[in-house]
Amino acid sequence: MSKDFYKGYREPCLSLMKKNEVTVWCELIAKTTRGDFHGLLLPRSETADPEHLVLKLDSGYNIGIRHDTVLSLEKVGYREANYKIPEKEFPVDPEKPRVRLFGTGGTIASRLDYRTGAVIPAFSPGELYGSVPELADICNLDTEKLFGVFSENMGPEQYLILADRVGEAIRDGYDGVIIGHGTDTMHHTSAALSFMVQNPPVPIVMVGSQRSSDRPSSDAAQNLINACHAAAHGEIAEVMVCMFGPTSDRYNLLHRGTRVRKMHSSYRSTFRTLGDIPLAMVENGVITPIDDKYATRRLDREVDVQPAFEEKVTIVYYYPGMLPDVIDALVDKGYKGIVIAGTGLGHVNRKIYPALERASAAGVALYMTLQTMWGFVQMYVYETGREILELGVIPLANMIPDVAYVKLGWSLGVHPNDLEAVRKLMTTPISGDMTDREPHDGYLVLQGGIPEVQDFFTGVWK
Amino acid sequence: MGTPSSLDTSGHELRPLPPAHGVTTSSSTLVWLRAREWSASVWVWAVIAAPSEAVEAVVRGCVVVGVGVSQDIADTREPFQPRQSLPSIVSIVQRQQPLGLWYARDVLASEHLLCFRLSMSPRPPGDLNPRRDPALDFPDKDLSEMSFEDYERLGFLGGLEVHQQLSTEGKLFCRCPAGRRVTNVDAEVLRHMRPTLSELGEYDQCALMEFKTRKEIVYLLDRKTVCTYEIDDTPPFPVDLAAVKIGLQIGRLFGLNLASELHVMRKQYLDGSIPTGFQRTGMLGLTGEIPFRVPELGIDRKLRIRQFSLEEDSCREVSDVGHRITFRTDRLGTPLTEVVTEPDLKTPWEIQAAGRLIARVARTTKKVCRGPGAARQDVNVSVAGSRRIELKGVGHHRRLPQLTHIEAFRQLNLLRVREELRKRGIDAPPVPEGRPFAWTSSPLVIEAGALVKRSDYAPLKDALDRGDTVVAVRLPGFAGLLGRRTQPGITFAREFSERVRVIACLTDRPFFIHSDVRDYGLGPAEWRALHSALEAEEEDAIIVVWGPSGDADTASREILIRAQEAHEGVPSETRQAYLDGTSGFERMLPGPDRMYPDTDTPPLPIRDEWLAEIEASLPELPWDREDRYVKLGLSLLEASELAAAPWADLFDEMEVADKRVARRLAHAFRKRLPHHARQGRMALPYPDRVKPLVRDLESGTIRLEACDVVLDEIMERTSVPGSELLAPFRRTTQSSKTLDALIDETVKAAAALSNRPKDVLIRWAMGKVMPSLLGQVDPSEVAKKLETALASFFKKGAA
Ligand SMILES: [Zn+2]
Repeated sequence: MSKDFYKGYREPCLSLMKKNEVTVWCELIAKTTRGDFHGLLLPRSETADPEHLVLKLDSGYNIGIRHDTVLSLEKVGYREANYKIPEKEFPVDPEKPRVRLFGTGGTIASRLDYRTGAVIPAFSPGELYGSVPELADICNLDTEKLFGVFSENMGPEQYLILADRVGEAIRDGYDGVIIGHGTDTMHHTSAALSFMVQNPPVPIVMVGSQRSSDRPSSDAAQNLINACHAAAHGEIAEVMVCMFGPTSDRYNLLHRGTRVRKMHSSYRSTFRTLGDIPLAMVENGVITPIDDKYATRRLDREVDVQPAFEEKVTIVYYYPGMLPDVIDALVDKGYKGIVIAGTGLGHVNRKIYPALERASAAGVALYMTLQTMWGFVQMYVYETGREILELGVIPLANMIPDVAYVKLGWSLGVHPNDLEAVRKLMTTPISGDMTDREPHDGYLVLQGGIPEVQDFFTGVWK
Repeated sequence: MGTPSSLDTSGHELRPLPPAHGVTTSSSTLVWLRAREWSASVWVWAVIAAPSEAVEAVVRGCVVVGVGVSQDIADTREPFQPRQSLPSIVSIVQRQQPLGLWYARDVLASEHLLCFRLSMSPRPPGDLNPRRDPALDFPDKDLSEMSFEDYERLGFLGGLEVHQQLSTEGKLFCRCPAGRRVTNVDAEVLRHMRPTLSELGEYDQCALMEFKTRKEIVYLLDRKTVCTYEIDDTPPFPVDLAAVKIGLQIGRLFGLNLASELHVMRKQYLDGSIPTGFQRTGMLGLTGEIPFRVPELGIDRKLRIRQFSLEEDSCREVSDVGHRITFRTDRLGTPLTEVVTEPDLKTPWEIQAAGRLIARVARTTKKVCRGPGAARQDVNVSVAGSRRIELKGVGHHRRLPQLTHIEAFRQLNLLRVREELRKRGIDAPPVPEGRPFAWTSSPLVIEAGALVKRSDYAPLKDALDRGDTVVAVRLPGFAGLLGRRTQPGITFAREFSERVRVIACLTDRPFFIHSDVRDYGLGPAEWRALHSALEAEEEDAIIVVWGPSGDADTASREILIRAQEAHEGVPSETRQAYLDGTSGFERMLPGPDRMYPDTDTPPLPIRDEWLAEIEASLPELPWDREDRYVKLGLSLLEASELAAAPWADLFDEMEVADKRVARRLAHAFRKRLPHHARQGRMALPYPDRVKPLVRDLESGTIRLEACDVVLDEIMERTSVPGSELLAPFRRTTQSSKTLDALIDETVKAAAALSNRPKDVLIRWAMGKVMPSLLGQVDPSEVAKKLETALASFFKKGAA
């Protein structure tokens, strides 16, 4: 049993501990120039400074003691705890639909290591049942942990595996698929799955949490419960994101995987459908469609899985002072596709035209999207737009830039040496990545402080 | 193989170790001995057959303090030494080494047992009153009838948790303004609190209770006082350094051992009072003491402070009706310090005095908030045989004595109920766990709608009309107990109804009637029917409760839980303090597992420079101030009264040097200023108007006797210039002439009173002379002069 007895401690604390023959998890009395302290010596966070020892007091508080205040450390005991999520057998009910839950590393359910504050993920059906027992009333749940990566580390490599496994689960007869995912890049993965797993016969629901489930006010349990409802019983057979509607604990929204984006760093209601309305609301197990056009659940097991991805693709977020060498550098580095997030209706400065021309000539696929997030690329209105079109930049209607990036990577992966085939894929709407129209409420960012908006908020839960 | 029962268990109850706290061994012979009740000093013996189980023991939080092996367990009572070898024992256990180091390997190789002495801490020590002998025969008395000795007999112990808002610009973890009270509402947020798993993978009992209530929690938001941090939609900003520094200063004044690094923790609250479900709090200092001198109570000792933390204030509750509780968020996040005393306070009056002292210490910094809600205390009370009960949110020190007195007797009365149950030989009733309803899974509960449908008891009729479910619960052996008094005007039955109200969220009062009530409510026929349906015996009690079926189910289970706790005595609770001195159930006392590190906030080093800065500018402490007043000639009692008085600063501004003047002035302030405040005048005079008086007193220009009257003039005649006020009281060259003339005049007028006794005559004459010369002449001189003059006058007259 090899263990780190000095976990997280560096000099000068390390020598102090060795000199006094104490290790982490020792219960000790520290005599210091600021008085005596009794407590349990905890591991130290690697990112914290090297100057302090951390004690857990009997009251549950932690307290830091600076090494140079310590006169002596007397060991009086040793306590180490290990933490487990209670594992209860997930009850199987043959009457209920079967749902497969894939884990990618984001914690959906978890509990806390009360001493260190580390979050211990709950993942097996038993663990999930132990922490969210309501799940057993909804479906039979099987789980599989695919990766253990943070949201920001999810990338093309994982998309391919995920797409394959989702396809398998569908062919294995599951009535729905749930993917637990960190929220930061959930909309990238939802876009990737929308392109790589087309026409699924069952719901594919992505879910995560904005507040980790070790806190009582977490959104995790409600998200998971509603995702289970959507996957097990929902009629919408598309790739979707299931997250909080308002910040209040009320209902979840099902967003189409190609139209959703994380819009706030920390709000619970961070996911929003852009340029359209969400697919449905889920509240207390009831799924209410909002949009009437969606792919419906089917009994067959047909699904079109196309896992492929070209990694040499990038987004260039245009800004007024941009110099052409940015584009040149990308071409030099062998990039095969560039999605431009342009200003206004899809514009860039004339200064970089020559660079775009060179890129086009070098066979780099160039596409135009909007940094405004909402609205359509319209390059015929102004002369600049028309000029850019002539450079070989192809407009992508109202495709969200992040989605365009994923789609271009996928398209180039599917057709590595065929720019024309890529162009066809890119300009053909798939799973709603581009729409022909934007409803009036597809763009809705209420402006705070205005009396009528304030009036509105007296009648709704924020 | 020996069995554990051969261990010496004299004076102890032998009980199986609860799985959550113990170690499961292969031989399943693990036992724990506990003294009648748990205390920190009790050691637990565990019999462990293999080293791996010892490891498990360590892992489960037991401290191994001795180890031994033997053929017969009975030989291993004090097997090994002991404390000094502990680290090595532990390391051996950790490494799972063979135990031959201590005893012959061959002994161990066979089926012999290894015995560990374990120390366990399922509950934090200090929860139970150290005395386990309740004063069951002590008569119920009022606070005014109680003596110090009476409280000693009761085993009364109290402790305080004093919360004090700090006066800072902004809140503790966000940059919203602090200390603004608003009523404006811009938006509302609705949340629920879901219990999280505890360290042992269980739900905290407090947490579970809150969840049982299935409350909707509503937060009212005002844009100017609340941002997205408070509603838990943005992570915390760096902690407010001004608040940390004020906190450190107060901690220093309490003589605490200060932390060198502040660790922000999360303390769980599921009652909704904080939208995150936890309060961010950090420990600033531990273990201090301050002089605790209360001459009027005969106290002259130290007050021990256990800990001192800096935390964010919670929401203000607006309403709590049924399944919805509403909070205002303006106060949320305001920096707050919490001082926790040791439970050393031995009478209700000591608790009050300690509360006042703690508040005064904090106020010496002049950086704390004043006014309603700025300082609040929770008070812990226990008596012999009971455990710590927390009474929450007491705004005023003057309420503390009555409140804690009533709580002490409530506990005593609960212990009497337990004693009666023991005498009756009753076992605690089981609590049904089955679904869907308590009445489908327990013989102690029935759905009683049909049995009472013809009742003419109006609340019950209304309930049936509403479609409520009516449930009857049998409490074995409780007949006659529910009507027992526990608090003034409150019976034991209230313990049940409060629980039901809070946990089952029943709001339409009354929702509850019990069989000890016979003068109203259900008729004899209905009670008979319920008795027979429940197969109740003579000595059983029945509670009938009604509400929506889900709530009625929760209610009936909760009634049985409370009945079970009656067998334990005093359940661990947090109680809400009411204005009349009584209290009501608020929630279960949370377990120790509710605290964990806040991973959103890095630890904050507490710099030596800050402490040096604080050290260089320490305000004068209350006890130092008292000492200074004693040196100025005041008695200890006068000194402590003055130091605590709102006019203490005014007194200091007078810069009195003369001892006699100091005493006189202190006396005049104490006697006259409260009077003027009651008359609606300004609470304190302007220092510049009092100063000339003090100077005159010191120089003897105005005599001390005039002090009170001059002070009254200063307070009453605010438009008259000071010099004009003082003039009539100053000794002048004319003073003795005026005196002589007045004496002459008075003596002449005395002729008509010649038949009165001499002392009456003198008093009358003094009343004639003194008022116009107050402050100018010595009254005893005047009396002497009058006496002589009168004597000679009457002698002359007689002659
Ligand atoms: Zn704020």
